[in-house]
Amino acid sequence: MEPWVVATSLIFIYLLATVVLGIIANQRMTVDMEDFLLYGRQAGFIVLYLTVVATFHSAFAFLGSGGFFYTHGIGFWAAGTWTVLVGAITYVLGPRIWALGKANGYITPADMLADFYESEAVRVAVAIVSVVFTILYIQVQAQGLGYIINVASGGRISFEVGTLILLVVAAAYLMAGGLRAVYWTDVIQGVWMYVAVWVGAMYLAYDLFGGPLQLWAEVRAQRPDLLSLPGPEGFFTPGMWIGMTITLSFGIIFQPHMMIRYYTAIDAKTLKLLGATTPIYLMTLYVPAALVGLGGAVAMPGLDVPDRIFPELLFAHAPPILTGVILAGATAAAMSTLDSILHANMSVLTRDVYQRYIAPDRGQGHYVWVGRGIVAALLVVGYFLSVRTFDFLVVLVTLSGSGALQLMPAILGVCFPTRRTLTRVGVLSGLLVGLGTLYVTLLVIPHPLGLHGGVWALLFNAAVTLTVSTVTEPPSAETRDRIHGEVEHQIYPETSS
Amino acid sequence: MNQERRSHFVPRTAEGRTALVAFVLLFLLSMPPVTHAVLDRPDTWIGGVPFLFATLFVVYSALIGVLAWAWRKGL
Repeated sequence: MEPWVVATSLIFIYLLATVVLGIIANQRMTVDMEDFLLYGRQAGFIVLYLTVVATFHSAFAFLGSGGFFYTHGIGFWAAGTWTVLVGAITYVLGPRIWALGKANGYITPADMLADFYESEAVRVAVAIVSVVFTILYIQVQAQGLGYIINVASGGRISFEVGTLILLVVAAAYLMAGGLRAVYWTDVIQGVWMYVAVWVGAMYLAYDLFGGPLQLWAEVRAQRPDLLSLPGPEGFFTPGMWIGMTITLSFGIIFQPHMMIRYYTAIDAKTLKLLGATTPIYLMTLYVPAALVGLGGAVAMPGLDVPDRIFPELLFAHAPPILTGVILAGATAAAMSTLDSILHANMSVLTRDVYQRYIAPDRGQGHYVWVGRGIVAALLVVGYFLSVRTFDFLVVLVTLSGSGALQLMPAILGVCFPTRRTLTRVGVLSGLLVGLGTLYVTLLVIPHPLGLHGGVWALLFNAAVTLTVSTVTEPPSAETRDRIHGEVEHQIYPETSS
Repeated sequence: MNQERRSHFVPRTAEGRTALVAFVLLFLLSMPPVTHAVLDRPDTWIGGVPFLFATLFVVYSALIGVLAWAWRKGL
């Protein structure tokens, strides 16, 4: 049997499995928004662990990271900094967000921020930022899926058709089973992608070089420029290293599809254990990516699209069945993030827009059906965004993370009680300035003085938020006591009254 | 009604402060200028792996160790 037949068949078997899981999840679902959107706030450690890591690692981890090592060299090992930071943020912030969500019935990030800052304007601004910047992420994942199926089929299934098939499958199981279907498929996807990337990388290292150490030695002999900073094209400057660390940790965590996961945990202890252990998976996934990217630069130089290095190497050197299994793992990586983003956008648009402003007094079943309709609409938008542009994956991810990063002052103001409380006018002003700065520092004058544009925007945002908050009215004492009191009780139960 | 709350940015226990300081110090080892001025030594290798890659792997593992220690201590 031809390699492309095996590879494509395995991907379709995998897709069928996800649809079956979606149907089973549908049978377990109750007609209730918390169940449909938040897994009934019952996610235990294993399910939550695998959904968080599978959602964090996307098409980018499978394709973009190999491409980045291939082009810019060892500097991409900076990835370890943001994966470890994601663990620390989860450890510190997760239990706070969980406690507030449980106590106040929050479903979206905007619920929390609008409640604390007592402002519908804050709700709308957060909802807009949440949707706009994560739609970019839909584009990244959908493009990754298009790449994978196009390569797996040897070009017989076009990028456009491949993207459409995979988007439809993800939307189908999400519509059928809600977040339960997303979590269950993420469990398979999280395991599959991790095993696939390690097995694929080790196979290629032994087949092409005789082992990982021989691979390193060959890179040293043939491409020493890939083994030093800032890399062959001068990309990994200190400013870029710091900027990527911040935008790809805080910036990803503050996206709604990650924050919503904190609401779904069964308890706060689960989230702390999650924070302490997720970096093990997240960081070690970049070890095989380094082998693929750097080894690929030696074995297969001059690729037009560096992101394709992993599948191209597999097709050239691995047995068809292994290639199929691994490419199905790459599909899993992209779909596990895509379904979560579709779900998060559905939640934001259903809860923060439809339920709040269009039809506030309908039954739970009505909102579940509206959510399904929104997923269908997002599928159409995501598809057209995906087939119109074709940029390097990591650039899009970074832009996406930079946008959500601008929510940081507002979120910290809620979750970290201090003597000086931030105000609604302060956070709105800061957000506006941050987004304006982001436009300038990413698109007009990219990364001034070598520092990442997202960090510039955050600095201006924070300065304006703090300054304006000193001269404007804070949230009411009652709200501050209720929300900061809940955080105090969660973190320091022995001292809170 | 409104209570004056102590800041949550500063840990209140000795173990909490230890964890925070250890994490921050280790994290600084994985950031510029240490990475670019100290760890970027393409001619130095450890066990067949580039110095930068190997040392950062150790630092990342130590950071995970701090988080695990904090969890075990119930911080």
